[in-house]
Amino acid sequence: MVSRDVAFTTMTERLFGQKHKIIIFSNLNHALDYIYNSIPDLLIVDFFHENSAAYAVISDLKSDSIFGQVTVIGLFGESQEIPDNGILPIDDYIRSLADEKEVFSRIEICLARADRVVETNPLTRLPGNITILKQIQNRIESGDIFAMSWVDVDYFKPFNDKYGFARGDEVLKMLGRLVLNTVRQKQPVGSFVGHIGGDDFVFIVNHEIMEEVAQELIDNFKNIIPTFYDADDRARGYIESVDREGVHRTFPIMGLSIGITHNSDRCFKHYGEMAEVASEMKKFAKMCGGCCFKTDQRVV
Amino acid sequence: MDIQALRLQIEKIDTLPTMPGVLKKLLKVIENPKVSLNEIGSFISSDPVLTSRVLKLVNSPVYGFPGRISSVSQALILLGMNVVRGLLLGVSVFEVMQKSMIGLWEHSIGTAITARIIAQQKGIPEPEEVSVAALLHDIGKVVLSLKFPDEYAGVIADAEKEGIFIFEAEKKHFSVTHAEAGSWIAQRWNFPRSLVEVIEYHHKPNLSKTMLVQSAIVHLSDILVRAKGLGFAGDNFVPALNSGAWQILNISESELSGIVLEMDSALSHADDFLLGEQD
Repeated sequence: MVSRDVAFTTMTERLFGQKHKIIIFSNLNHALDYIYNSIPDLLIVDFFHENSAAYAVISDLKSDSIFGQVTVIGLFGESQEIPDNGILPIDDYIRSLADEKEVFSRIEICLARADRVVETNPLTRLPGNITILKQIQNRIESGDIFAMSWVDVDYFKPFNDKYGFARGDEVLKMLGRLVLNTVRQKQPVGSFVGHIGGDDFVFIVNHEIMEEVAQELIDNFKNIIPTFYDADDRARGYIESVDREGVHRTFPIMGLSIGITHNSDRCFKHYGEMAEVASEMKKFAKMCGGCCFKTDQRVV
Repeated sequence: MDIQALRLQIEKIDTLPTMPGVLKKLLKVIENPKVSLNEIGSFISSDPVLTSRVLKLVNSPVYGFPGRISSVSQALILLGMNVVRGLLLGVSVFEVMQKSMIGLWEHSIGTAITARIIAQQKGIPEPEEVSVAALLHDIGKVVLSLKFPDEYAGVIADAEKEGIFIFEAEKKHFSVTHAEAGSWIAQRWNFPRSLVEVIEYHHKPNLSKTMLVQSAIVHLSDILVRAKGLGFAGDNFVPALNSGAWQILNISESELSGIVLEMDSALSHADDFLLGEQD
């Protein structure tokens, strides 16, 4: 929170200090170092006490790919004009004389929205890397027992090379919907689906149903994917394209390889460890010919 | 009205109404919180309008893979339960119900069931696609009678009075038939090319470029269902089989009697889907 309005900062601390960590800065420039280092969930900036140079700072912050996700609430004087959103790109505003209830609701709603509107992959609109990391790290830290899958498309690259990236994107958009709905149908509450990028997806469900979900996903994909090929390739059952070494060869119809890990028999401290194991298991599934899932059985 | 203007009129149609009886059953299905996607799927697959609604949505540019999905079960898993529920809640019914419409519904369902039997017999790789195409083959009749109710009543009356086929009467009134009208709306709604083609050529399957066998199957099913006297497709008599279709399918007499037997048993189990007048 950047404000010299003591009445406002005291009220906000009283309202939210229990549930959230609040750090108060007296001017925006002093706050920047902290913002860049720890990416807050919410930034409240008092524009009554800041000059218009602050507009440019917020504008820069919001145009950044990482910091642009930080929700910014502007605090304005009673009759102060709210600048055009093109000049000052904020997410919401509060008037300095607003009553306690109003301030509470506005901030609550912004925090909830920041939680909900996560950074998404532009192709599939699924949560992206930062959210995936947060999801998994939070679950690890709160001691949840859960299983995580890393999903990857077999023979995606040759498909992309042969038909072009627009056709490849069609497949990824379809896969995004497919993972989301297959997972949600099996576990409507407490599951999670994210898109790492390219043809890599992750999802989280309860350990007991993970293999069932993975198998269903593989089957559903196998069932739908032929319609994404041209009729003649579909009939042949393979396509001709070039491999990573530039050699012409034939590639089968795409399938899914899924690597699974979970923390019921082993302990993970960090997102990175867990992601690495899942990715390893995915590579193992690929080595086994693809179109299958492999679950990490190691006890550590 | 010239053909271009007619086409523009038809392409303006955003959504089709269904039968009051279907809506009653539909509400029962979606009000059940425990209903599975499979159950909803088999219900949707028994109604041409609900099927076209689902295919229209899943093939819309919003989802990013237009023209790819021709199967109801695949559409449902890609749309997800919440979207499907929402979609079905918005279904309306024909305000003026003609008896002939109920007959058309029964005819469409019968054709879909029969087409699936023949597709399986002929070893077609995607029998569901053929059955969906069969369910939708007369969607042009729904479209024309929705958009031009008075003219279409005239078409039906003409066909009966002059003893001509319904598509001949359509041609006189609209200068196109329901086959073209259906294919226009199917294209407009980004249905896969395969479906569009079968809808367009179900009366002259030999002219289809890439869906010869599938169009011929739907053509034969159409005629078999009429011959059985199931439902009402607008004609009082059964049209002749297109000779090209017969050559394309190459079905022996014993195969045909096998198909008819299987039809009898499948259709006797399909009573649930058929509406009748009691609804």
